[in-house]
Amino acid sequence: MIKIVAMVWLMFAVAVFAADDDALQPVANPKPILLDLQFKMSSLKSVYLDFTQERRLKLFAEPLKSEGVMLIGEPDQIRWETTAPFQSILLANHKSVAQFEENDGKWEKLKLGFPQMLKRVMDQMVLMNQGKLDALTADFTITVATNRSLAVLTLVPKDENVRSMLAALEIRMPPDFSATREVVMHEPGGDFTRIIFTRERRNVVFPANTFDQIKPLEIAAVRAAVGDAP
Amino acid sequence: MHRNFFILLLALLAAGCATPQPPPETNSFRTAQLFPAEALVTQRGVLTVHGRQFTLNGYVAKSETRGLRLIVTETFGGVLADVLVKPGGETFVLKASPPFRPAWVKNYIAADLKCIFEDGAETDCPLQMLSDTHFVIERRGYKLDLRTVEMQAGLQPAAMFDETHGGKR
Repeated sequence: MIKIVAMVWLMFAVAVFAADDDALQPVANPKPILLDLQFKMSSLKSVYLDFTQERRLKLFAEPLKSEGVMLIGEPDQIRWETTAPFQSILLANHKSVAQFEENDGKWEKLKLGFPQMLKRVMDQMVLMNQGKLDALTADFTITVATNRSLAVLTLVPKDENVRSMLAALEIRMPPDFSATREVVMHEPGGDFTRIIFTRERRNVVFPANTFDQIKPLEIAAVRAAVGDAP
Repeated sequence: MHRNFFILLLALLAAGCATPQPPPETNSFRTAQLFPAEALVTQRGVLTVHGRQFTLNGYVAKSETRGLRLIVTETFGGVLADVLVKPGGETFVLKASPPFRPAWVKNYIAADLKCIFEDGAETDCPLQMLSDTHFVIERRGYKLDLRTVEMQAGLQPAAMFDETHGGKR
């Protein structure tokens, strides 16, 4: 009897695993999907995400991990904050970018070298999270693959120089685009960085100074305001 | 996308490197004892070049008998430098991406690595130790503010200390 129950459970587990991991099928014409994504994301006014970043290098047995939060607000405001194992805040809007590093309990604003490069990366992150992928087609070739539980958007840089550093960028979402699950950045040599998003909050109201580039509000206060206090 | 940034940073670094070096200073701190004999150490750095600041992450695999391996990444994870220093001092630059040139990785990044992790191995070591986890190295042309943010004691994979692994990417 125990054997039969065990076999049933095993079959059930295999079936569940297979359903979740069925092969991704490339979509011949991704345009309707991209339009649908853009339409659904257009109603998104703001988003709060916790993330775990795993840097996987072939040399290391374990991934190099960091944690943090990503906040996107209107108009085109983004805050990318690493909370562990060090503290650092990157802020950008349509005009400027700023970076703060924690220094003995105090935030120090950096005199950024060549902020335009950082701003461009941050702008692209905002566009991706707003589903405005058509704005990225100048820089990337975009393809889509789906299965029953996942939609994967793959962005391959068109510029050869960029491609020598970033082979492809994948955005993984559920098929209804209701959340961003993961972003994976693949490098030419096989190393990659996976950013796993958790505790997504959409259309939250961020408190004043969340995106302030002179004195940004502490993340604990932001978390408390959006109901995400740990 | 990054080309202009790299050209400008190269110009700044080149300007710094072209100026005469200050007299060598000796590291009188015993910093190596702050780290386990075998460990993986994560450091966060702010590199200041001519008043402009850049953040870097450093991952140091340390072995008393096999050497030091440092991988430097930028904020979003891209590897900028990969260097191996053998116990005898022999240095292998396994990767140098813009803005870092292989010669700079060898002459400055490897030197700074030895400065902190190998007492006495590097004689030109302008190091200030602000705490057990906070170091500043200031040379003509740049200042590196480094903090140890994580330390995992334990043997690191042998491949880390083999110059034929992960090199010349």
